[in-house]
Amino acid sequence: MKLAINNTAFQNLSQHPVFWLVLSLSLVITPHLSRFPIWSIILISLLFIWRLLCIKRPHWLPPKWLLLIIIIFSGTGLFLHFGTLFGKTAGSVLLSILLAVKLHESQSRRDYMLLISLSFFIIVTNFLFSQSIPTVIFMLCITVVLLMSMITINQNNAAIDHVTKLRLSVKMLFQALPLMLIMFVLFPRISGPLWKLPEEDNSALSGLSDTMSPGNISNLIKSSSVAFRVQFENEIPPQQQLYWRGLVLWYFDGQTWERGKKNTTPNPTLLTSETKIGYTITLQAHQKKWLYALDMPVDIPNDIVYTRNFVLRSQHNITSLYQYHLTSSLDYKIQSDISPWEKSAGLKIPPQSNLQTVLKGQQLAQRFSQAEDIVDHVLKTFNREEFHYTLKPPLTPGFDPVDQFLFQTKRGFCEHYASSFTLLMRAAGIPARVVLGYQGGTINPLTRVLTVRQSEAHAWSEVWLQNRGWVRIDPTAAIAPQRIEQSLDAALDINESRPLHIQLSSSALKDILFYWDAIDNRWNQWIIGYDTEKQKQLLSKLLNQRIHFSDIVLLLVTGFSAALIITLLFIFQPWKRPKLDPVIEAYDAFCKKLSSRGIIRDSYEGPFDFSHRAIKALPEQESSIRLITRLYSKLRYEASHSEKQLTQLKQLIKEFKPGRTPEG
Amino acid sequence: MTNSLPLIPRFAERFIQRLANKRQPPATHQIEINRHHLYILPTRHGVLFFLVLLLVLFGAINYENSLGFMLAFLLGSLALLGMIYTHQNLNKLSVHIGRAEPVFVGQDMLFPITLSQSTEQLRPAIQLLSTSAQVSHAHLINNTNTTSQLACTALHRGYSTPGQIKLFTEFPFGLFHAWSWLNLDSRCLVYPAPYPHHLPHFKTDEEASGSTANVKQGIDDFSGIRAYQDGDLPNHMAWKAIAKTGKLQTKLFSSETSQDIWISWAQLDPTLDIEHRLSLLCRMVLETSKHSRNFGLDIPSTKIAPSHGLQHKQQCLKALALFGL
Repeated sequence: MKLAINNTAFQNLSQHPVFWLVLSLSLVITPHLSRFPIWSIILISLLFIWRLLCIKRPHWLPPKWLLLIIIIFSGTGLFLHFGTLFGKTAGSVLLSILLAVKLHESQSRRDYMLLISLSFFIIVTNFLFSQSIPTVIFMLCITVVLLMSMITINQNNAAIDHVTKLRLSVKMLFQALPLMLIMFVLFPRISGPLWKLPEEDNSALSGLSDTMSPGNISNLIKSSSVAFRVQFENEIPPQQQLYWRGLVLWYFDGQTWERGKKNTTPNPTLLTSETKIGYTITLQAHQKKWLYALDMPVDIPNDIVYTRNFVLRSQHNITSLYQYHLTSSLDYKIQSDISPWEKSAGLKIPPQSNLQTVLKGQQLAQRFSQAEDIVDHVLKTFNREEFHYTLKPPLTPGFDPVDQFLFQTKRGFCEHYASSFTLLMRAAGIPARVVLGYQGGTINPLTRVLTVRQSEAHAWSEVWLQNRGWVRIDPTAAIAPQRIEQSLDAALDINESRPLHIQLSSSALKDILFYWDAIDNRWNQWIIGYDTEKQKQLLSKLLNQRIHFSDIVLLLVTGFSAALIITLLFIFQPWKRPKLDPVIEAYDAFCKKLSSRGIIRDSYEGPFDFSHRAIKALPEQESSIRLITRLYSKLRYEASHSEKQLTQLKQLIKEFKPGRTPEG
Repeated sequence: MTNSLPLIPRFAERFIQRLANKRQPPATHQIEINRHHLYILPTRHGVLFFLVLLLVLFGAINYENSLGFMLAFLLGSLALLGMIYTHQNLNKLSVHIGRAEPVFVGQDMLFPITLSQSTEQLRPAIQLLSTSAQVSHAHLINNTNTTSQLACTALHRGYSTPGQIKLFTEFPFGLFHAWSWLNLDSRCLVYPAPYPHHLPHFKTDEEASGSTANVKQGIDDFSGIRAYQDGDLPNHMAWKAIAKTGKLQTKLFSSETSQDIWISWAQLDPTLDIEHRLSLLCRMVLETSKHSRNFGLDIPSTKIAPSHGLQHKQQCLKALALFGL
């Protein structure tokens, strides 16, 4: 009996189901932690530690009313913190706290199994925030731990060591992966949500916001996360032409630029050159409606709104990877005259603020008769005077940030230049507006895919010039041409270089990052972006014909069955003869010898029943049959036996001749 | 751990059991479980797991979340493999039953059950359910056989079989319940339950039969030596005589040479029913043999000459157990 071993095993903490549950739950919650309020993390950790201590001291388990109070208080806390209990973040915090509390009520296998099942659900809530490759690897690791927990819960005090559990779980995971892939590719994808998605809570996703004030973009620049990727149909235009427009800001209050009221200009006409550039953008989810396009987009898909500001808007928030195909023209001209709405909005100056700048603009208007000359003059001033391009501009507190920048600090980032330039133009009577977007991008030499990161966020101006329409003016290009022609890092001073993960210094690292980027792009295109369209496209290519819904179902059934059969063959390996116990092997030889005399053992027949039958048929062999049977059952059914007995059995069976009397 | 049954109503399980009984091989000492009489159904945990899986899948469809799809399919595949592993935990397992030591009615018959396999496959958490709803556990970890005791409450005197044993497992994930019903051929001798209370009329009977010798007194009076018999007390050994002759000898005391006690059916109140009388007789046999006194058993159809010792006691109890059967 294994009772003694079982007792010590159970005393061992690491064999207790609760230990595994706490481990599983903490791992499942870990990726969420950055979004959790601090107090909830402390609460959950305390609940976990408390429960671990209770394993050996069951009387320490908290009473029900205390648990209820914890739930009520944390629910209230969450509601005050998030304003809702059902958003993505608030919901996942609430669920985590509930599970940690439920852990204190769990004493039976039923409760443990419930907790494990719900842990899988918490893994899924993390996917709403991140679907990257590391997330998936982490998911697989957590799944292994959860499987080990399930084994521990169901092992009934068996003394199975952790290595065996780990090996079994990993083995099963690998056996499940092919089945999962088949399902993933062939399970019919339905487009569109089944129910209305809840409103988003304040999720901390990086990306451009729809306002611009000093410090906005320079903060975003620190993030190396991908904003979108572009696959060009032909040549990639030169770096300095890659202006990705996203938003147009009209309204300025002296501090912050905002979009302002809806532009009501009647249809403007765009005159473009013959050369057009086709490209496909894969936009990361940014939870906003606006889309990015190369300056200026010409051909737009039907489901995208093309606004009067020549920027694109989606009809829904971009909550998952979004792909769209566009055509742009780098040479363009707006033919129609400026509309009254644009003229008034483009000349509006915030009253009682940045007076110095406004005065300077008015002086310029008196000095030059041509708008082009004013623009030239200001850009030259930026270039020649003591203006610096820096990521860490001195703070410009107060109500007149533009005045402070232009006349005192003279150190700033693209947002400072765009903001002050636009205001100067307005003061000089030239309609002007701010455009937000990205500039440049990194070409991956492996895939020819252009990756635009948050660090390429940029702001520039557009001014209305007679006969030319809205013209893009980038004041940053005047002060730091390297930023536009090369990259941000080229434009910054050496002592201001950004963290290593953004700045690509060594070429080996560069290569690795390009590989990673290529993999990441494939992942985005084929795994995260795998939808109804992609599925149809892939299956049509595979089968070389048009695919209908019924075809997909048929493929799923056949594909899954085939994969299952292969997996089962792999598990059972019927072609491989199992390594038998030597005792059984010897006894099988004995049965074979008897079967040559027509005495065949039935599968359900025990050795003694069989021996009685054999003795009846071969009475002259009684003694050796008895001896062999006794020895066999002793070896097989008694816990302790020696090697000597086994050799004896083998010898006896070898000498056993059902044809004549044995010697001795 | 609670014994969770598969998620089917009782009558359905009984229906499956009836069908299963039709295809059972004849009862033997040993059975190899194979897929012909191995059944599997999801447990309530399995159903719960499936519901969570569906929730994940619908969430994935709604949010068009690829990794959600991936996790749902991974869990589905793992559950499917779990089903196969649970089935394999019992499939091709040999079950062998041994003999159980005799017990009294109301006690547990302990049948030694050996599970064995031809390979060293990991087969932990196998449970055996007896007809009296007692569960015993068995684990095959790094070995080819293991023996555990199946407890089964003895309900009637005479020879008792273990009845239909249910062998089941939910390893590894507890999502599926695989089981087999086994008819194993073994029997256990069950003695009548000894009368639970003091036997006042037994003493009077003893006195009535003429033996005035008190047990304590009897042990004190040495009266001779005879050859050793099984069951003799070690402190009655005639050590000096053994040293002389080299054979085991036992001292006899006056009480043992005094008149033999007859435990007889006829002494008992004829209005009592048979089982009650057997129960009283059983108690008498036990009481008397405690004092190493010669006693005989006289019941209709069987008469056992006065003697003493363990073998004699067992013979008498067996006669009582099998009375009228």
